[in-house]
Amino acid sequence: MKVAYFSPLPPERSGISDYSALLLPALGERIDVRVAKRGKTKPPRGTDVALYHVGNNPDAHAWIVDALRRRPGLVVLHDFVLHHLVAGMTLGRGDAEGYLDAMQRDAGVVGRLLAHGVVDQLLPPIWEERAEDFPLTSVVLDRADGVICHSRYVEAKLIGYGYDGPIRVVPMPAWPSPELGEVPEHEGRFPVIGCFGYLNGAKRVPQLLAAFERLRSRFPEALLVLGGSTAPDVKLDTVGQERGVLRLEHLDEQALWRSLAACDIVASLRSPTMGETSGMVVRTLSLGKPLVVSDIGWFSELPDAVAAKVPVDDREIEALAGVLERISGDDGLRRRMGEAAADAARTEHDLGHVADLYVQALEEIGGGSNVRDAVVRDVAEAAHEVGIDENDPELSEVAARAREVGLGN
Amino acid sequence: MRIAVCAPQVLFERGGTEILAESLSVQLRQRGHEVEEIRLPFKWYPGAAVLREALQWRLLDLDQTHSDPVDLVIATKFPSYAIRHPNKVVWLVHQFRQAYELDRAEYGQFGEDPFDRATVRAVHRVDRKTLAEARRLFAISKNVADRLKSSTGLHAEVLPPPPQQLAYRPPQDGEYILSVGRLDRAKRVDLLLEAAALDDGLELVVAGEGPDRERLERLSREHGLDGRVTFPGRVTDDELADLYAKCIAVFYAPFDEDFGLVPYEAFLAEKPVVTTRDAGGPLEVVVDRQNGLVCEPAAAGVAEACAWLAAHQEEARAWGRSGKQVAERITWDAVVDRLLAA
Repeated sequence: MKVAYFSPLPPERSGISDYSALLLPALGERIDVRVAKRGKTKPPRGTDVALYHVGNNPDAHAWIVDALRRRPGLVVLHDFVLHHLVAGMTLGRGDAEGYLDAMQRDAGVVGRLLAHGVVDQLLPPIWEERAEDFPLTSVVLDRADGVICHSRYVEAKLIGYGYDGPIRVVPMPAWPSPELGEVPEHEGRFPVIGCFGYLNGAKRVPQLLAAFERLRSRFPEALLVLGGSTAPDVKLDTVGQERGVLRLEHLDEQALWRSLAACDIVASLRSPTMGETSGMVVRTLSLGKPLVVSDIGWFSELPDAVAAKVPVDDREIEALAGVLERISGDDGLRRRMGEAAADAARTEHDLGHVADLYVQALEEIGGGSNVRDAVVRDVAEAAHEVGIDENDPELSEVAARAREVGLGN
Repeated sequence: MRIAVCAPQVLFERGGTEILAESLSVQLRQRGHEVEEIRLPFKWYPGAAVLREALQWRLLDLDQTHSDPVDLVIATKFPSYAIRHPNKVVWLVHQFRQAYELDRAEYGQFGEDPFDRATVRAVHRVDRKTLAEARRLFAISKNVADRLKSSTGLHAEVLPPPPQQLAYRPPQDGEYILSVGRLDRAKRVDLLLEAAALDDGLELVVAGEGPDRERLERLSREHGLDGRVTFPGRVTDDELADLYAKCIAVFYAPFDEDFGLVPYEAFLAEKPVVTTRDAGGPLEVVVDRQNGLVCEPAAAGVAEACAWLAAHQEEARAWGRSGKQVAERITWDAVVDRLLAA
């Protein structure tokens, strides 16, 4: 079976690009993969099945959705909410009608009216404030033969959204821990807490800073490393070494790994979530470091042994401070969490295991409907020959049994 | 108890599974149970036919007859275990091997096109669902249990079936190497023929029928084995007991076999077994230089093993007696107790 593979790839910089760069070699060892050139919406010649990586960024993914519209296939849904993508593919291309249609498909007349408000600039852009209320995911689901997602959270969202095609949950693959070289030593500082990535409001940086301030009352030598560029909505002008915070704005991949390795605890907080996973969390697992995450979406599904989970509510700062203090003050707990993290990276998130699950999904979904049709056709023909009509209850029984063993439509 | 024993039937053939199902039914009846043997014809080609066959088993309703419940269903082999029953016990002979360890290998059936790949995956899905429903899972060998574990994650207890009850004769001095079983490529009788081509002192009897017979007979002619190889075809139980009694040793070396009743029969006839390192199930019972010889899966290795036994008949007899002690430990009393205790 030959697979057409549509995804952003390096040097394009994105989490999904990194993901594909990691996955492709392992997938190529198991199945014949032909990578589609960026911008080419026609599948590579001779391919049987197409695999589309879709995220919420229109610059990176619009061409992939265009390709999906030409030929249905298996969609890897990296974000459940695709409002920003759809806005980019419609309004961004001067296609206001397309945006109105997409909103109407999601939310009926109300959706269309709201979209009119946005188009006429009477309302603020929905993708900035209320994207999760109007995910617009049907734009890809309508053409998806099946969906791969990375969490039970997104699987439940898809079912709730009304998607009735096959869904496979495939964990994020873990990066092999690279040769680290010289890891920065924060001499005399303990605990070292890290928070890495694009630091926007959804990463709960203000809440983390407030909790860290409380932690310092018990651990005055604590250090908070904030690594990554800052979004306009996050103000870090007033934080610095005097408040125990180290800013590292420009981290290449190698420097990122080293900085992660120098941490005692890594905080990866999130709210709201668009159903996304976190490459930073998976890197942290590979390094065997204790994690603190928000109790939300995919992050909630991390094993308790690996990650302490903080509810996103009015008491978030207090709870976060308490968790950081507890883990910092218990060497045994940190060690156990680290071991559990490394174990999860070796098993659940093992790259070979993930690639096997991809092949399984591709093989099941690639020809699955034809196989089911063949079985059902045999039964239907036999029924017809003896005068049983497709609406007769006897055939409902057959259909129920077929569905029980995965052979029904 | 009212018990249904379920097994697929390859039409006009009688092999290990058929013997196992028949023997189990007989043994259960002897112990006072009411038994029905449920057979559906099994055809595994073309395309997705195996899935249609699984669905046929799924559609059977064995919950009760005339308002009396069927107390227990014992399913044996793909796709019979797709049957629905609240008290389903599976005594697994094997899964549909073409969708597992034989896939993409010499004896595989499915190609690389999306339809074939999806069919393989659909078989896996049927197995995961219908085997997991069983109240208890047994496998006829460790090899079968290991395959089940690695393919579905399900654990099965190993429960080997007792060998066929033949009227075994006292062993006589050996005259030939005996091969018994269905003649298909996976049984690798050609290894034995090639071994005979390397050693003109070896005489062979190849008992059994099957689709590979014509090729094997042609191969023996090509190797100039006329007069040293006999193909008696399907033999009666009496004839088989005779053949066992008069052989030097029994050759049995299929590739990665599930279990194999033949080594047990050979042992009950007090004959040693020649097998190969990749034979699978037989290696759970044939111990090198205790009750047989385990050699490389190559003609030279087989030739050397057979020649050694022909030249050392005293050891061959001793190893046969040693094998008998192993085979006699597997009894129907123990099997029935465990299946019904489930």
